[in-house]
Amino acid sequence: MESRVSAEVSFSVEAGLNMNNKNDKKQRLPTPVPESGPANPGRRRALRLLVAGLAGAALTGRTPGLANNRGSAAWERIEPARERLNGATPKDGAIKLDLPGVTQDGSAVPLTVEIDSPMSEDDFIEAVYLYAGGNPTPELLDVYLTPLVGRARFSTRIRLNKSQSVLALARTNRGEWLAGDREVRVTVSGCLSRDDTYDFDAVMRTRVRVPERLEPGQIGEVRTLIDHPMETGLREDGEGQPIPERIINEFRAEFNGKSVLKARLYRAISANPYLRFPIAPNGSGEATFHWTEDTGESVSESFRMETG
Amino acid sequence: MGLLGAGTLLAAGGLRVYAGRPSHAHVAVVGGGFGGATAAKYLKILKPDLDVTLIEPNRRYYTCPFTNLYLGGLRDFESLGHDYRELQEDYGVRVVPDFAEDVDVDGRRLKLAEGSEIAWDRLILSPGIDFRWGALEGYDEAAAEKAPHAWKAGPQTHLLRRQLEEMEDGGTFVLVAPENPFRCPPGPYERVSLIAHYLKRNKPRSKVLLLDSKDNFSKQGLFMEGWEEHYGEMVEWVGLSNDGRVIRVDPDRLEVETEFGTIHRASVLNVVPPQKAGLIAHRAGVTDESGWVPVDPNTFQSRKAPGVYVIGDATEAAPMPKSGFVANNHGKVTAAAVVADLEERAVPKPTWANTCYSVIAPEWGITVANVYEVHDGELREVPGSGGVSPSGAPADFRRNEARYAEAWYAAISQDVWGTRPPG
Repeated sequence: MESRVSAEVSFSVEAGLNMNNKNDKKQRLPTPVPESGPANPGRRRALRLLVAGLAGAALTGRTPGLANNRGSAAWERIEPARERLNGATPKDGAIKLDLPGVTQDGSAVPLTVEIDSPMSEDDFIEAVYLYAGGNPTPELLDVYLTPLVGRARFSTRIRLNKSQSVLALARTNRGEWLAGDREVRVTVSGCLSRDDTYDFDAVMRTRVRVPERLEPGQIGEVRTLIDHPMETGLREDGEGQPIPERIINEFRAEFNGKSVLKARLYRAISANPYLRFPIAPNGSGEATFHWTEDTGESVSESFRMETG
Repeated sequence: MGLLGAGTLLAAGGLRVYAGRPSHAHVAVVGGGFGGATAAKYLKILKPDLDVTLIEPNRRYYTCPFTNLYLGGLRDFESLGHDYRELQEDYGVRVVPDFAEDVDVDGRRLKLAEGSEIAWDRLILSPGIDFRWGALEGYDEAAAEKAPHAWKAGPQTHLLRRQLEEMEDGGTFVLVAPENPFRCPPGPYERVSLIAHYLKRNKPRSKVLLLDSKDNFSKQGLFMEGWEEHYGEMVEWVGLSNDGRVIRVDPDRLEVETEFGTIHRASVLNVVPPQKAGLIAHRAGVTDESGWVPVDPNTFQSRKAPGVYVIGDATEAAPMPKSGFVANNHGKVTAAAVVADLEERAVPKPTWANTCYSVIAPEWGITVANVYEVHDGELREVPGSGGVSPSGAPADFRRNEARYAEAWYAAISQDVWGTRPPG
């Protein structure tokens, strides 16, 4: 209990939304209102922090930007997604996103992505890109898959600062694009009001669970977690100074030195990043997992896996 | 009881159908808890000539709120029981002690377990929760006889109490807490507090371990402060990121396995399982894929079945929590909406309030309070309307909050069932 530090920070919703919003500032910024807008910073509403401040914005009840863009596909509304597609039109509805329709805690929303694919050497999903257009920055996670996962399915936990649509794009090894999206309503329950605490001593501590033994051809499941606050860079400390961004930005899983799954993590991945994914090893060997922080610091873990 | 004969019809096949008086609208209410009993009573208050039937299988209803005080030895179980005499005798509600089994939404009929039917003009469902048996591997109805949930008041509550009494000094009480949403967000945390109180008094070498599928919970800072103050190292909370999520229960060995493979062995194992809306909501076809009931926020009329209103824990009413306080508010607001609808008047603009009281130790309480409204077609907290008790508050502040909790229970019991505190 001694190592548990209370990071109590006030966070201004509007300040958070304005920061790092250069891509779509014009279309997305809320109209300033005298009571709470940036035009009158002296009366800005300071909210009690919910992890990384992101969830707090749901209290404003505003959905800036979305109303202006209704009617177009989710991937057309998010600029980095359009850039990623670079003119290609994805096959919509081809990705299954499993997310709660209503969530009471925007700081850790469970998300599972599933795509129907044989994941064979000549037909597989090679990349999945996830976006939340209503967050201060839309990028959530980029995942690079190989046939060694056996099945195109993975789970993580994300931060959503308000009700919005979560978008997934996927590219096959043949260069075809797929898309899928899902609406999530984010509320903040009064019975859930709380302070933010995390354990500074445990940062970079990892947890991994891998199947020790699989039958040939059997697909196993890997669960990984690393203790990390995933500081967004959008919060202020008690003195009103911004807390710098500090996140895990890369995760790699390898089997006998070959990539199974690689991920680029953004600031909207929840504290203590969690990834769960399948593994279909082609024999016995060593599974290795690497996490890298944006400071350059990294940590690795290896496990023996037997097949047959 | 004169009402009963007046509206009872015998259909051709001998089927008994109750339809109320021909010239009066008839509202059927399913479930006699905080939501349903309140709705029935306030329908009669707002429109005394309405025919109101309440269907509730228990003649005496025990509340889930305050069972933690019973488990901790602070309260007698019978003080949590309430009956329907006031509703029947003072308000003229027809109370049918039966279980609502099925609904014909188009035909506006309710089918009861013992074979009779009820014809209604408007239907209010307040069915509470059911458990998603098997959603947590190894935890089904049979498992609950060994590792109780005690998340509905009754035999399960007694079973857990008996197990605590039989537990050896130096044993470990383990509580498994679910993901959101679930009934009574602060409930698991109040429960471990008051069980720690019981153990500290009676079996001081014991330990209390809370394994949680969440990283944060209701009034977290205040609970942790209270645990440290009263129970020191006796209470340990393990959250999601510390491998607190249980993925398998072995009820015979009283063992649980967490996501990353830790096995915890309990002397007494209390599993609060994943939940969904009560049975009749599913039979009525008003639930969605989440297992809960989406409703129009202004009236709590089902989004799927016109004329059917759903209130209380069964609904998707976030950010309002699944609490008895909120269900009582739903009952009143929805009674007003139903009466307005029957009288073809505009529905009054709703507001709801909630306070969740939690008792951490005798004379030591904490609260969270909020007011809710409809804004842009969605439920939200009225900005600035509430908050939690201050941290680091002096003992007399906590003592007052514990007394407010007792006073709240007495007041709401009187409001819902007419139960007066003893003495």
